Amino acid sequence: MFYRLVGFCCLLMALAAPAYAIGDEAPAWLKQAASSPAPSYKRDVPAVVLLKESTATVETDGRMTTVSNYVVRILTREGRGYATSVVNYDVSTDKVREMRAWLVRPDGSVRKYGKDETVDKIAASYDLYNESRQRIISAAEEAEVGSVFGYTTTTEERPTFPQTGWAFQGRVPVLVSRMTLVLPAGWQANAITFNAPRVEPTVNGTSYTWEMRSLAPIEPEEASPSIKTLAPHLAINYGPAAANTTAAATSGLTRTFEKWADVSRWYTELADPQAEPDDAIALKARELTANAKTELEKIQAIGRYVQNIQYVSIQIGIGGYRPHAATEVLAKNYGDCKDKATLMRAMLRAVKLQSYAVLIYSGDRTFVREEWVSPTQFNHCIIAVRISDETQVASVVVHPTLGRLLIFDATDDTTPVGDLPDHEQGSFALVAAGDTGALLRMPVLPPEASRNERQTEISMSPDGSITATLVERRTGQSAASLRSAFKGLSRPQFQQMVERWVNHGASGAKVSKVEPADEHTEGRFRINLEFSADRYAQSLQNRLLVFKPAIVGRSQTMTLSEPTRKHPVVLESEAYMETVRVRLPEGFDVDELPDATKLESAFGTYSATYEIKEGQLVFTRIFTQRAGVFPAEQYSAVRDFYGRIRAAEESPVVLAKK
Amino acid sequence: MKFPRSTGLPYLCLLCMMLVAAPTAVLAGEDWKPVDPADLALKEAVVEKDADAEVLTWDVHVNDNDVNDLVFNHYIRIKVFTERGREAHSRIDILYPGKAKVKDIAGRTIKPDGQIVELKKEDIFERTVVKAGGRKVKAKSFAMPGVEPGAIVEYRWREVFSSASADHLRLELQRNIPVRNVTYHIKPYSGPYASAMRAQYFNMTEAPKIVKKDGFYTMTMTNMPAFREEPRMPPEDQVRTWMLLYYTPDNKLAPERYWKEFGKRVHELVKPLMKANDEVKKAAEEAVGDATTPEQKLERIYDFCRTKIKNSSNDAAELTNAEREKLKANKSPSDTLKRGVGDGADIDLLFAAMASAIGLDARVALTAARNKIFFNPNFTDPYFLEPTSIAVRLGDGWRFFNPGYNYLPFGGLRWQEEGTMTLVTDPKEPEFVITPVTPPGRSLEKRTAKLRLDADGTLEGDVRIEYTGQAAVEIREYNDEDSPAQREETLKSRVQARLGGAELSNIRIENVTDSVKPFVYAYHVRVPGYAQRTGKRLFIQPAFFQRGVGQLFPTSTRRNDIYFNYPWSEEDYVEIQLPEGYALDNAEAPSQFGAAELSQYQPKLSVSTDGRILVYHRKFFFGGDKAKGGVATPFPASSYSQLKAYFDELHKQDNHTIAIKQGAAATATTSTAKPSN
Repeated sequence: MFYRLVGFCCLLMALAAPAYAIGDEAPAWLKQAASSPAPSYKRDVPAVVLLKESTATVETDGRMTTVSNYVVRILTREGRGYATSVVNYDVSTDKVREMRAWLVRPDGSVRKYGKDETVDKIAASYDLYNESRQRIISAAEEAEVGSVFGYTTTTEERPTFPQTGWAFQGRVPVLVSRMTLVLPAGWQANAITFNAPRVEPTVNGTSYTWEMRSLAPIEPEEASPSIKTLAPHLAINYGPAAANTTAAATSGLTRTFEKWADVSRWYTELADPQAEPDDAIALKARELTANAKTELEKIQAIGRYVQNIQYVSIQIGIGGYRPHAATEVLAKNYGDCKDKATLMRAMLRAVKLQSYAVLIYSGDRTFVREEWVSPTQFNHCIIAVRISDETQVASVVVHPTLGRLLIFDATDDTTPVGDLPDHEQGSFALVAAGDTGALLRMPVLPPEASRNERQTEISMSPDGSITATLVERRTGQSAASLRSAFKGLSRPQFQQMVERWVNHGASGAKVSKVEPADEHTEGRFRINLEFSADRYAQSLQNRLLVFKPAIVGRSQTMTLSEPTRKHPVVLESEAYMETVRVRLPEGFDVDELPDATKLESAFGTYSATYEIKEGQLVFTRIFTQRAGVFPAEQYSAVRDFYGRIRAAEESPVVLAKK
Repeated sequence: MKFPRSTGLPYLCLLCMMLVAAPTAVLAGEDWKPVDPADLALKEAVVEKDADAEVLTWDVHVNDNDVNDLVFNHYIRIKVFTERGREAHSRIDILYPGKAKVKDIAGRTIKPDGQIVELKKEDIFERTVVKAGGRKVKAKSFAMPGVEPGAIVEYRWREVFSSASADHLRLELQRNIPVRNVTYHIKPYSGPYASAMRAQYFNMTEAPKIVKKDGFYTMTMTNMPAFREEPRMPPEDQVRTWMLLYYTPDNKLAPERYWKEFGKRVHELVKPLMKANDEVKKAAEEAVGDATTPEQKLERIYDFCRTKIKNSSNDAAELTNAEREKLKANKSPSDTLKRGVGDGADIDLLFAAMASAIGLDARVALTAARNKIFFNPNFTDPYFLEPTSIAVRLGDGWRFFNPGYNYLPFGGLRWQEEGTMTLVTDPKEPEFVITPVTPPGRSLEKRTAKLRLDADGTLEGDVRIEYTGQAAVEIREYNDEDSPAQREETLKSRVQARLGGAELSNIRIENVTDSVKPFVYAYHVRVPGYAQRTGKRLFIQPAFFQRGVGQLFPTSTRRNDIYFNYPWSEEDYVEIQLPEGYALDNAEAPSQFGAAELSQYQPKLSVSTDGRILVYHRKFFFGGDKAKGGVATPFPASSYSQLKAYFDELHKQDNHTIAIKQGAAATATTSTAKPSN
């Protein structure tokens, strides 16, 4: 349905095609910015932002009015999408007072865009209901190379927290990027700069201005850190000065946060009352754990149940932070991440297990920064269960006061108790435990926790045809990725996926058996295959047989084609091991085997060995990839590492007729 | 004809296609239909046993007899079998235009134990999905409560579209899950000046039985399989089961008569638009110059229209947006000529006018594009037809031209209009003519590589690829909107996707918008590890252009017919200079094979007389047919295994590897060849 919504929105956005008058005047600030000379960039840089500025004025009651001006020059046809203005707002707290835009064409003619060309749409199409919306003016269809697009917006909002941010740039270069915060008398602001040396503000009374100039483009690269980790940005706190208690009292600002425990206390007060179990919850929890003999089994039983509840997001009020009551979630059998966490907490409580909500950022483990105490850094809610020493799993952190905490994502239905989605591993997350809550680094599971072990048995006939059985056992996140495909695809689609996978290595292979087994609770996924392939080994002059023993490829491979790069390489934990036994055809001997390979590096290890045992060729490959962020200076070594693995896995075996 | 009440027909049709569901018969407030305990106890789907969910009842009342409104009453009941089915079918979004009304929503979940959980009114959310230019799209959204595998969910709602009609209304009969029973109850308009409502069915083996009751015509289909897209299948409208409602005068004509009348009417309509005044006549005479035969004359006119008139429909036309906005609509070929600019239709009409001016018989021709539907003239409605080309009588027959589409050479059509029944308009005797199909040899991808292999397995050298015919049109469309930098990036990505680690440099992309010359890619490539080393040997795949290309049909089963857009051919010439001191070791050439006129695969492997250069020459074509020039019809799903086996063999032969050995005396069954310079 989601894609239909998006498609429909696109249709209506197209209907907003403008019909404007020629001969409009652009405002002076836009003309001035448009006349700025820009350096020349590489030919694939799509656009350059000539001016990006915002002035946010805060009233004593906390209301904030923001005027933003933005000017961008389109450098390539692909850059036309940058001729777009987007304002996000929340219908319950914000207003978009003004939104106008202009397109200055290369011939100097100007087009003006206003209310009639503005599209207003829901911001989160996937949510069943959400008060966030977007106003958009797009000149992408009309903009051509050399055009300058500019817009101004005025928004009024009542921030939930006295905090704001400023991204100095995105991927494209920026000439001038400026943020001004105008505060009431007696208020003050401080900011943290990320991904760049500290930017000192120019302070004029209670007006603060942060500015950066001449920012280079940030080009996308394979296995690169996210743009949020690369682009300079500010995190800003503001409010009445500590001594000004009267101003603080009248500001209307609901919350200020000095330390992470403050955020913990705030969220605990918001979420804990919702996690009260009633009789229905207690009954369900007892029913689920009736056969559980250990603490871990109880957590697994409840965790599995909650993960299977339908994900439905309904965001109303207080920035979407407050979960629905656990009782309601159980009755409806649906909810979002914080609803699921809340229901799970209530159920655990019913069986006498203590747990806490954990706020985290889903999708980028480097996103949350310890230096900035702010709940706005999070977009996801998971849980921490207080466990005894009896429970031994990998996804555990130790809190100085609360002790051992098992971290679990009740929304990710492919990741069982004891494991953690890889994009959450190593991230900072807030354990909301009242005064004792803290920002903790989430556990990073070792490569062995995400392992793929494969055994392939092959029988080869003299014409090179093979019949094969393959058993693959996966654990951890390696299992989760296959489980995700298994859950997301229908049975015939899954079968076809496997066929494509096998046929990639063995052309024309016939897959006669696909037997998947999801051992979810144990964190394992197993798949048994049987297949055959005519003339898999190539016959040369009816004398030699040549074949690659690595028949079925690994699902993840790194290519790193570019000879150089600018940004670090990000690698995830992964471990892989395969043994292939090939029963050699009658009348053939091994003529040549590839050389064994053994690689050891900071990024991981790899070995490939070949030996002949009792008429069988035994090929073994073992690969371990270490999670880490490796600087660009090490790129050639990383590239060489993967290039050598690729070469080793392509190496053939040669058999000769006796 | 019926009163012209429809103001939003295309919109409504679109909406009907996009709606989540289109079910049923029960008006809000009435009781739910009784639940069969057997359905509640079901453990697997009836129509397709592997299905995650199955529609038990899909029932829609369509009432077009209201004076102002078109009213739908939907009812749907779905049995959920798996978690995946629960995930996909427990959230419902009903989209509707702002002026329509959606009301009387009700829903409930019947759990496997019979417990019923009602959908509460407060759990139904109304949202304005998007608003722009005074229009809105709204949605009513809800999640069915308490859904779990084994449960039945059912919901119903009423939709009212004001000032709308059911004329040319599409009604779907398949969904992405199987349907046990789908019923439409249709009440046509019956007021003053009412026309007869008819239904055209698509992709059914036999038309459904219609029952009339209470003013509603009821048709039911049972056991409809899920619709699934597959790669290389015919257009969706040609595969999916659906029907189209439309109104016609009561005296419906036989197809032959209908199209004759229609062709005459269109001819009368377009005749003034093709009129040649003195300026057009003069321009035609000047364009023709010293050409003597009608074909030569027409080709000169074609070139004139293509090169002297700027085509504002073309993405790559050198027109600024400011210039485009200033363009006035051309009302005649004379306007197009005078202004030197026009859209594709203007250029086609100017071409027709100029052809007429030199005494040729030129007509507007209408076609149903082959990428949308395979036209059947027994359906007597112009719903699918569009004017797509100009037919000119040359010799004994009609030839078709479309100079308004920039990427076509003289006499060429887009593949979408080739091999289709095309209506040539005429004041007296309009006729259907099947347009020719470009034979495979004229849609050629010609690839050349001159490469050097190092002893470490690295392959490096220069590559050139030329595209002609439909292959060129396709790749031009793929590239023409991109900047030069993006075109290079796209090429790099394509090469690197099959040759991991390949480095490309000196990239040139030529003739992107020139329809006469071949589209060209040229580049220098370096591929580390292209050949695999063992202790004594190097193994190399001579089919450089096929290395890393996946199988065309990797899966074993097929539901839909198989369809290739156009016939094509490939010709590769690859020279590989072997490393110093290496010679062929037991090398043999890949095998050739074919399927008579339909397809042939001819690889040749040879070595230079000094043994230093390996030469690989590969020819392949598919879709040839002696009688027709090319095949534009689908292959039935039943032939999938044969087709798959054919392309599997092609893949295998393309992956043929040869060995070279250091210091070996060449042993091979390849021929010797003289490499090109």
